[in-house]
Amino acid sequence: MNFKIKELIGPRCIIKEDGQKIYEMIHGPLLQGEVVSLDFSDVNQFASPFFNFAFGQLLKNITKEELERLLHFVNLNDTGKNVFERVIENAVKYYADKDYRKIVDDILEQQAKESD
Amino acid sequence: MAQNVINIPRINDTPSDFEILFKIWSQINGYEEDVRFDFSRCYFLRPNAVAFLGGLTRLIQYRWGTVEFDWATLRDRILTNLCQSGFAKAFGYPSSGWDGNSIPYRHDDTLDMNGIMDYLTDNWIGKGWVRISNRLRDAIAGNMWEIYNNAFEHSGTEIGVFSCGQYFPWYNALLLSVVDFGQGIPSKVRDFFRQNVSEEQADKLKGSTCLQWAFQAGSTTKVGYGEPGGAGLDLLKQFVKLNKGKLEVYSNDGYCIIDKNGERYSNRTISFEGTVFHITLWCDEKQYHLKGEVAPTF
Repeated sequence: MNFKIKELIGPRCIIKEDGQKIYEMIHGPLLQGEVVSLDFSDVNQFASPFFNFAFGQLLKNITKEELERLLHFVNLNDTGKNVFERVIENAVKYYADKDYRKIVDDILEQQAKESD
Repeated sequence: MAQNVINIPRINDTPSDFEILFKIWSQINGYEEDVRFDFSRCYFLRPNAVAFLGGLTRLIQYRWGTVEFDWATLRDRILTNLCQSGFAKAFGYPSSGWDGNSIPYRHDDTLDMNGIMDYLTDNWIGKGWVRISNRLRDAIAGNMWEIYNNAFEHSGTEIGVFSCGQYFPWYNALLLSVVDFGQGIPSKVRDFFRQNVSEEQADKLKGSTCLQWAFQAGSTTKVGYGEPGGAGLDLLKQFVKLNKGKLEVYSNDGYCIIDKNGERYSNRTISFEGTVFHITLWCDEKQYHLKGEVAPTF
């Protein structure tokens, strides 16, 4: 399954609403195990909200390994790749079990050290 | 109620200048304030002051107050700048903006993607004074978007976001200041830990610590069942470091500076309800290298 991003949302991959649109197009096929190819030709501007919604939330029910196997990007420039990589790295942490008490304890411990 | 006359002094963009702005905010941070801004003692106004005063004016008006600008007290050079940037027109002075080295003053009520991205791409970076590749220009604009997005997504601002920039030809730098009068990042972080851990622990968090946490990769005040978030500030930080620029953030009682010397977080004595992102980028292609970026030829 192939999609041209510019034809779907234009030359900017910026906002979450556009990300959600892409997510809704690719989520079902990816869950069915279909290979999805997204062509970013003539898309020049990128920001994290788009990537969080389009791809980050896929990790809710698709593993990172499965996503790497099924989701292919064509003509995504380095800026876009960088945002994508950061967002995916972030999303993995986001969906992992989090112990907020430990997080805040660690932050406070660090704060105490820095005040010494 | 008697009109409160606020004397606006010369305002640059050092931490003590921001302190002046926050003191002005605290003087008129009420409801139904009637304020007159007097510029008799003002010899210089940086874009951070312009964005801040614009936002403050809207905040006062939103709280059923009135604001009068005493335009006659402005020195010609400053008035010219305020006319160029469109600020004067936005607040009732009869003028129209024109091209100079001012970057337009901007007020966004909503997160208008094309409006903001066009402003960043065409009016801030793309006026022809910054000789960089299109790909780098687009990367900068995308990173600046993260600031606007953060403000609208997390601050809860009721009056929108205010920005202003300037190009300083004598040291070849671009400045952009983005201001909101929302909740502030430390307050948001404390609320998050209050809800998810305990009030006692959250109240111990200092402003600097909250900012430091917010700028870490993977930190987000969203809980893990919806769409992920939290990559934006980390991306912005990495970009500023990569390009040897400077980013300062003032939010509540916290302050951080990210520049070629690293990142430092501290606490300030004056707290302000809102957030200012103040970013400086050097207009030197040699300072900028993206992965895979080839220096352009002219």
